[in-house]
Amino acid sequence: MILNGFINGIIMAGIVALPVLGIAVIYGMTGVINFAIGGIGVFSAFTTWYLLPYNTVLAVVVGLAVGFALGYSIQALLLTPLSARRGGDLNLFFLITNNIGLIFVGLTRVIFPRPIIGIPLPRLGTINIFSVQTSGLKFLALFIAIGSLLLLRAVERYTRVGKSWRATSQNLRLAKIVGINTSRAFNVASGIGCMLAAFGAIIWGSLYNLTLTTGFDLTFLGYIIAVVGGIGNILGGMSASLIIGLVLSFSAYLVSGSWQSVILYGIAMITLIVAPRGILGSERSV
Amino acid sequence: MSDPVLEVSELAIAYGANLAVKGVSVTVSENEILGIVGPNGAGKTTLLESIAGLHPLRQGSIRFRGNRIDHFSVHKRRKLGIVLIPQEENIFPGMMVKENLEMGAVLMPARERETQMDYVYELFPTLKERSRQIANTLSGGERRMLAVGVGIVANAQLFLIDEPSVGLAPKLVTNLLERLRQLKEDTKRPIALCEQNIKVLNVADRILGMEAGESKFCESLDVVDKGKVKELYLGLHA
Ligand SMILES: Nc1ncnc2c1ncn2[C@@H]1O[C@H](COP(=O)(O)OP(=O)(O)O)[C@@H](O)[C@H]1O
Ligand SMILES: [Mg+2]
Repeated sequence: MILNGFINGIIMAGIVALPVLGIAVIYGMTGVINFAIGGIGVFSAFTTWYLLPYNTVLAVVVGLAVGFALGYSIQALLLTPLSARRGGDLNLFFLITNNIGLIFVGLTRVIFPRPIIGIPLPRLGTINIFSVQTSGLKFLALFIAIGSLLLLRAVERYTRVGKSWRATSQNLRLAKIVGINTSRAFNVASGIGCMLAAFGAIIWGSLYNLTLTTGFDLTFLGYIIAVVGGIGNILGGMSASLIIGLVLSFSAYLVSGSWQSVILYGIAMITLIVAPRGILGSERSV
Repeated sequence: MSDPVLEVSELAIAYGANLAVKGVSVTVSENEILGIVGPNGAGKTTLLESIAGLHPLRQGSIRFRGNRIDHFSVHKRRKLGIVLIPQEENIFPGMMVKENLEMGAVLMPARERETQMDYVYELFPTLKERSRQIANTLSGGERRMLAVGVGIVANAQLFLIDEPSVGLAPKLVTNLLERLRQLKEDTKRPIALCEQNIKVLNVADRILGMEAGESKFCESLDVVDKGKVKELYLGLHA
C-alpha cells in the first residue's frame, strides 16, 4: 500500500506540475500570476476531445496550439496594453485573469456539446513496478512534465531566443534598450504557460473526468503549489508538486479522499504564514 | 568638420507637468566626444534617454544624419546604431559576462558579433578573463566595464554614455575614461558622455554645461573656462 501511494503520488505530481510550470513561466517573465490558465487549458482540452475521432495526434497537437494561441493573444491584445496604462496593479490583474478564465469556462459550455468528458487516449500498455500496476499513459504524463522542464531550461541556457527571454525577465528596460523584442517575449511566455496548462488538462481528462470546473482545480492546484514552492521558482515548484502529489495520494489512503482539499489548502495556508516566499524562496527567473 | 551626426534642437522633455529639459540645442559630430556636465537633476540623463527614444518629445526635434528620428521607437533607433549606456541597472545581473555581451549585440549578425566581442575584450581584458562569471558577482568597477561593453559591442553609429565613472575609485575613473577616448580613436564614432567627474575635461572635445534643464554653454575644450566648469558643475565630485 505504501508503495502504491508513493507511485500514485509521483504520477499525480507529474500532472499538477504542468500548470505549476505554466504559472512559473508566465510569472517569471511578466510578473503577473495568470489565473486564467486553468480555464484556457480546459477549453483547449475540449478542443482535443472534439477532434479525437478524426486523429489522436492531430487532436492533441491542435489542443496544445489552441492553448498557445490563446495565451499569446491574451497577453498581446489585453494584458500588455493594460499594464502599459495601469502599471503593475496586482489586484487588477488577479480580477482580470480570473475573469478571462471564467469567460473560457463559459465558452466551453457554449461551444462544446457536453459539459463532462473523458479523453480516451490510448492506455499505452501496462507497466508493472514492484508489483504495482499502472498504465503507460500515466507514466507518459510524468515524463512530459519532466521533459517540458528540461526542454525549457535548455532553451533558456543555450539558444539566443531563450537568452533574450532571460534578459527580458532580469532587466526589462535594458532588454528594450539593446533591441530585444520584449513584447514578443511576454507573448511567447504567456503562450507557453497556457500550452502547459492545456497539456495538464488533456492528461487530466484522459485519466479522470474533465468538467467545466476542472479549470479551477488546475488553476488553484497550480497556484497553491506555486505558493508552496515559491512563485516563479521552477525548481521549488517541481519539488512542491512532488510533496503535494504524495500528500494527496497518501491522504486518500490514510484518512479519506474527501479530506484532500482541506489538507491541501491547509498546507498552503501554513506555508503562507511560516514561509511566505515558499520553501525554496520566490524568484523571478524564468 | 563634417556635418554633425546628431542634431538636437530646442528639445523639451517633461515628466508630467515638470519640464526636465527646457529647449536644449546641441550637436555631436564624427570623431568627437561631447562632455555633458551639470549638477544632479540638471537633465543630463533625460537628454540622453530622449535621444535614445525613451521619452516622448514635448517640443523640438532630433536629427540623425540629417533625418528626423523623433517619432522612431527605441528599437528602431537602436537599429540605426544609436546606443545608450544607461547610468543605472545597465547589466543583466543573472547572466554571464559573455551572455551580457551577446545581448548587447542581439541585433547583429553572428559573424559581426564575434568581431565586436573580441574588440570589447581587447578594450577590457578583465572581461575576457571573467567571461563565464555571473554579472552580479563582479566588482563595482568590473560591472561598470561590462555595462560599457554591452553598449560598445553593438558597433554603434552614436554612443550615449551616462555617468560611467560615478562611484568608482579615482584610478578606475581615469582608466575607464581613457578607454572611452580609445574607443573614439578606434571607431571615429561620436560620443555624448555625461559626467560629474572633473576628469571628463581630459577626454572631451567639447563641453555642454547644463543646469535646471537648460543649456548654459556649449564650447570647445580650448575656449571653455575650466575654472567655471569645475566650480559650477563638477564642484561636488572634483
Ligand atoms: N522618471 C522620472 N519621473 C519624474 N521626474 C523625473 C524622472 N526622472 C527624472 N526626473 C526629474 O527630472 C529632472 C532631471 O533629472 P535627470 O535627467 O535625471 O538629471 P541628471 O541626470 O542631470 O541628474 C530632475 O528634476 C528629476 O527629478
Ligand atoms: Mg543622471
